[in-house]
Amino acid sequence: MNYFISGGCKNGKSFHAQRVAKKMSEEKGLPLYYIATMIPIDNEDNIRINRHISERAGWGFKTIEQPLDILGCLDQIDNKGVILFDSVTALLMNEMFPVGREPKLDVAERIANELKEFCIRTDNTVFVSDYIYSDCNRFDDLTDKYREGLALLDKTLVKACDRVEEVAYGFTKVHK
Amino acid sequence: MILIFGGAFQGKLEYIMEKHGLEESQVFTCKSDKIEIDYSKKIIDNLEEFVYACTNEGIEAKEIILESMDKLKDKIVICDDISQGVVSLDKTERAWREMVGRTMLMLGKEAEEVIRVFCGLPDKIK
Repeated sequence: MNYFISGGCKNGKSFHAQRVAKKMSEEKGLPLYYIATMIPIDNEDNIRINRHISERAGWGFKTIEQPLDILGCLDQIDNKGVILFDSVTALLMNEMFPVGREPKLDVAERIANELKEFCIRTDNTVFVSDYIYSDCNRFDDLTDKYREGLALLDKTLVKACDRVEEVAYGFTKVHK
Repeated sequence: MILIFGGAFQGKLEYIMEKHGLEESQVFTCKSDKIEIDYSKKIIDNLEEFVYACTNEGIEAKEIILESMDKLKDKIVICDDISQGVVSLDKTERAWREMVGRTMLMLGKEAEEVIRVFCGLPDKIK
């Protein structure tokens, strides 16, 4: 069963997703993978990554670094295992805004197709995304293009996944 | 009236058009630079942009809509939920969010049906 988990930022989604993945792996006796998508660009990112690593310590995850070209990680792991994919948000950020290069504003559709294929090729993936659509700011075009792109990925995954959950400070609403 | 809300780009319009078999010619899209609603259309989309235009002119959106409430009876009104995220540093954006809040509270009371759309999925809350 593929999962899609979203909700506001910094409110317990990653931890909830970890528990969902761990439980699936224990119940089905499957290997447990963590797809790390973040490219650290400063010390703040390093601190965040180290905190996530220490939170995962002892959970039994094998970590695969895959910040770009997401289907690439499927060649390195058992595709029927439990895969925690955290996060769709970072994947789009890495693809759309490559460090030191011009933004690539038309990548969302390609990534949506890759995620669709990811769902077909795997049975027990837990995708984590961020609900960043309810601010009251008049955003610049780049930011809006990113939000529109992420929304396309979210909507694609909601269709492709069997279960959809929204997390708010540890509480979970099941949408599907 | 059916009231639909949810974050930006969540597929609110697509959802309701598909559900009711409606076409684009039946949609009025509100604009941020014009205080105007075409009540002859079945769907009034991007109501938050109408409210933004009102905010810029210092006019209370709720009052204008209340004057034409009878024309909204069989309509579908769609509005972005802009109620989350940090309080903006910009005065107009703060006033805009407050006015959208007042407008939505009024419309939510008046509506027979209220649906929140999350990543394309409807959640009926009234």
